Formats: sequence, structure tokens, C-alpha cells
Amino acid sequence: MKSRAYVSSVGLVPVGDHWEKSIVDLAVEAARGALKGSGKRKPDQIIVGNMFSAVGAKQEQLGALVASALGLAGTPAYKVEAACSSGGTAFNVAYNLVRSGAIDSALVIGVEKMRDLEPEEISGALAMAESAEYTQFVGASFAALNGLLARYYMEQLNVTRDELSAIPVIDHANAVTAAHAQFRKAITPEVVGRSAMIADPLRLFDCAPVGDGAAAALIVNDSAASGSKRRMAEVLGGRVATNEFSIFEREDMLDFKSSREAFKGAMSQAGLVQKRLSLIEIHDAFSVVGALSLEAMGFSKRGQGSKDAKAGKYARGGELPINTFGGLKARGHPVGGTGMYQIAEAYLQLTDQAGKNQVEGAEYAATQNIGGVDTTSAVHVFGRAA
Amino acid sequence: MAIQYWRRRDRYYRLVGSRCKDCGDEFFPPVYKCKGCGSEHVADKEMPRTGRIVTYTQLHEPLPGFEAQAPLYLAVVKLDNGARVLTQIVDSPDDSVRTGAKVEATVRRMRVDGESGQIIYGYKFVVRS
Repeated sequence: MKSRAYVSSVGLVPVGDHWEKSIVDLAVEAARGALKGSGKRKPDQIIVGNMFSAVGAKQEQLGALVASALGLAGTPAYKVEAACSSGGTAFNVAYNLVRSGAIDSALVIGVEKMRDLEPEEISGALAMAESAEYTQFVGASFAALNGLLARYYMEQLNVTRDELSAIPVIDHANAVTAAHAQFRKAITPEVVGRSAMIADPLRLFDCAPVGDGAAAALIVNDSAASGSKRRMAEVLGGRVATNEFSIFEREDMLDFKSSREAFKGAMSQAGLVQKRLSLIEIHDAFSVVGALSLEAMGFSKRGQGSKDAKAGKYARGGELPINTFGGLKARGHPVGGTGMYQIAEAYLQLTDQAGKNQVEGAEYAATQNIGGVDTTSAVHVFGRAA
Repeated sequence: MAIQYWRRRDRYYRLVGSRCKDCGDEFFPPVYKCKGCGSEHVADKEMPRTGRIVTYTQLHEPLPGFEAQAPLYLAVVKLDNGARVLTQIVDSPDDSVRTGAKVEATVRRMRVDGESGQIIYGYKFVVRS
């Protein structure tokens, strides 16, 4: 029996350097936030989205570990991994289970502990999202692949340095008033264009930072939602899609097929047309990835993603606000946690709990979470609960 | 972990990829199924050793094991048969590493593996004027 699905509450740990907290501390803190006020009712399942706990914390079996720490041993619990899209993909599993009628509720937690690693170890861990045999083998980091993509994008479609800087600038502007954001400071395009070179032409401020974090949400069906006084957001659609694994294998590197397909699927499930969206949280792990995502999902024409951002289309007062709490660049990108931050942020917007970051009258919101360079995408669409 | 790379020695030393017996398309890395026509009749084939740079980057923050090589050039190279390879570009003046530049495969030391110090070799490309 198909059921409607709702996000009934969320929990967020501010993204940053949590030297004093372990991966379990982070997951429990976010989970408690999402479970607060749910009384004696326990979630039917616990699903943890995480990318590299084996490397970052020498820890696997996160599902049972977190369930036990929460005093919920006995509950079915497991981890879902899809690189940086682990959070969004974990949520998609929960959504499909609730929607199908298999379960009434699930607690979904996205978590990553990055800071226990040295900088080069973090590069090594992130590179595991890409081919061990043909990408890591030749010494190509994740940033290097995005550098290759950025140069191709700029040369093929005549995109300038200043235009590429527009999405990071929007992220930082939105993060200034976001309590859980890692970098709450506005920047200019000049700051981006003068920052240290990482993988030419990508500079430090084109790239999402490293940070620890966890975000969680409780997803429930009609029966679990009934009688609750909580403010809820309805999950209207959700889809995961994949692309050819590596960018160099693809006929057209600039076509983000997995984002396109996941967005199309989620929107069609929701029965919504693009222009109904009040905001979207996009996966801009690198400036170029944000631009290509907006193009793939049809908000900008080919080659226009960064140009439209520069013209103001995606700013908070613009036609379609993106990354309303700072996106990956400024809210931060604790990789396996990111997808759940996006979902928590969409929930805050649709329940009027976004404070100074509130998009007035927000009715519908979407989240787009990518693993690899558009290799896996998880897109969800939410609406204000009736 | 060196066995993980030894297993692929034909690919790393001789650029052995795949040729589809049905449509003739060629691929590197090798494929289990033709990306052109979907056929599973694919066989090993050595790739041509020359091609052109499609896009490139200079990486300043290397992966573990590659520190001594930084900053290093990486490129997507389209080989003369249309197959695309991700590779380092080495032994080439900075101003020669450009989109469209003609390059040729060579075998170089990739890195030294683990505490046993086993040297791992593989393909890198050089710009040919």
C-alpha cells in the first residue's frame, strides 16, 4: 500500500572542526535533534549515510553502532554508501521504504568525520570515489578531475574566471546568517580569483572546504504523522540515478546525465513543473559542478549556469534562490553528511524555521546531492505539508 | 596491495584496451560490454600510443605517494582510435601542455608502494611537437 511521506523533524550539528567529537558523537547529536519530541515512539529503521568511516574513523558497522548508542539496539540499522551522495541516497532508501508501505518511519543520519585525517589522507579518501585502477593509479585526485572539467567547460563554452566565481560568492553571502554554516563571511569574485591554485584553473575558493558534520531527519508516513503537532514538510518525489563512472569515459563530459535523470524523475513523481520550485539546494562541491548541475536540471541553458548566477538569477532575492544556507562552499561539505544537510535545510525553509535565511512564502524545494563527478545523483522534492 | 596493480600490467605497460568484435569500437580502459553497440563480444587490443589533449590541469595538491612529483600535469587524452585515457603528462615544457597538443605514450615510474618499497610502473604521456 502506498503512503505519503513526511519529514517531521531534523537535527543539525554545525559544520566545522570538531576536534572534541568522534563520528559517533556527531551522529548521536544530530539524531537526538531529529528525535526530540517524538516521545516513546521509535523509528522502524535507522539508516546512516556515510562515505569513508573505515578510513576516516577506522569504523564500520555504523548502523548498529549508532542505534546502540541511541539506546535503540534491536532496530534494523545499516549504512548506505554512494560517495558524496551517501546522505541523499540513504534518504532515498528510507523514502522508498516508507512510501511503499514497508515501514512507518525511519531515522536517517548523514555523517562524516574528516578532520582526524591529515590533508593528503583526506585527498586519498575522497579519491576513493573514483577508479582505483585508472584514476587513483595515475595520481589524479578528486580536485584534479574537477580541474579537468573546469578547463573544458571554460574553453568549450567561453566561460570567464569572473563568471565561474559567481556561485561561491552566492554561497558565502547566504552563509553569513546561517548558524550551522562553516564559513559565515561574505566574499567577492576577486577573492575567489586570487585564492591559491589547487587544480588549475580551480582555486581554493572554487572548492568546498573540509569539515566534520552530521545532519538527521525523521521520515514518517500518514499514520505516524497523524496526531503530531509538529510542523512537517511532505516528501513529494525522490530519485537516484547514475552516469558513466568516470568523466573521461563519457561522450560529453559537460552533460551531467545523472543529475538530469534524477531531477526529472523526482519532479515527475512530485507532479511539479520547474517554475513551481521556490528554492533548490545544489551540490556545488566545486564551482564548475554547481554551474553544470543548474544546466543539467534545466534551470540554465548550456554554458549559462555561471553567467546566470553572475546576473543574479540564483541569489537569495533572485528568480530561483540556491543554497540558501551557504551550499557546499560555505555551509560546508562533510561528504557523507551533505545530502542530509540539504534535506534539513529544505525542511527548515518549508516550515518557516529558516530565520534570517527564510525564503518568503517558500512552497516547494528541491535538493540535489552528487557522488563523484555527477556519477551518482540523489534528488528529492519537498512541499509544504497541507 | 601491489598485486592489485600487477594484475593490470598489460594495461599499464602496453595500453591494452578492448575492441568490439561486432561494431569495431575501441576502448581504454577495457570494457566488459561495448559502450557503442552493447555487444559482449569484446577482445583485448593494444591501443595506439599517440593522441591529442582534450583538457588538462596542473595539480598542486597531490595524492599520497605522488608528493615528489607535484605539481603534476594530468590530462584527458583522445587516442588516434577515439579511446580516451586519463594520464599524467611528463617531460614536457609548461607552455607545450595545451588543449589540442599531440602526445605520445611512454612508460614511467608511478610511485613506490608501501613499506616493501615495490616500484609501480605505468603509462604517462609526453608532448610531441
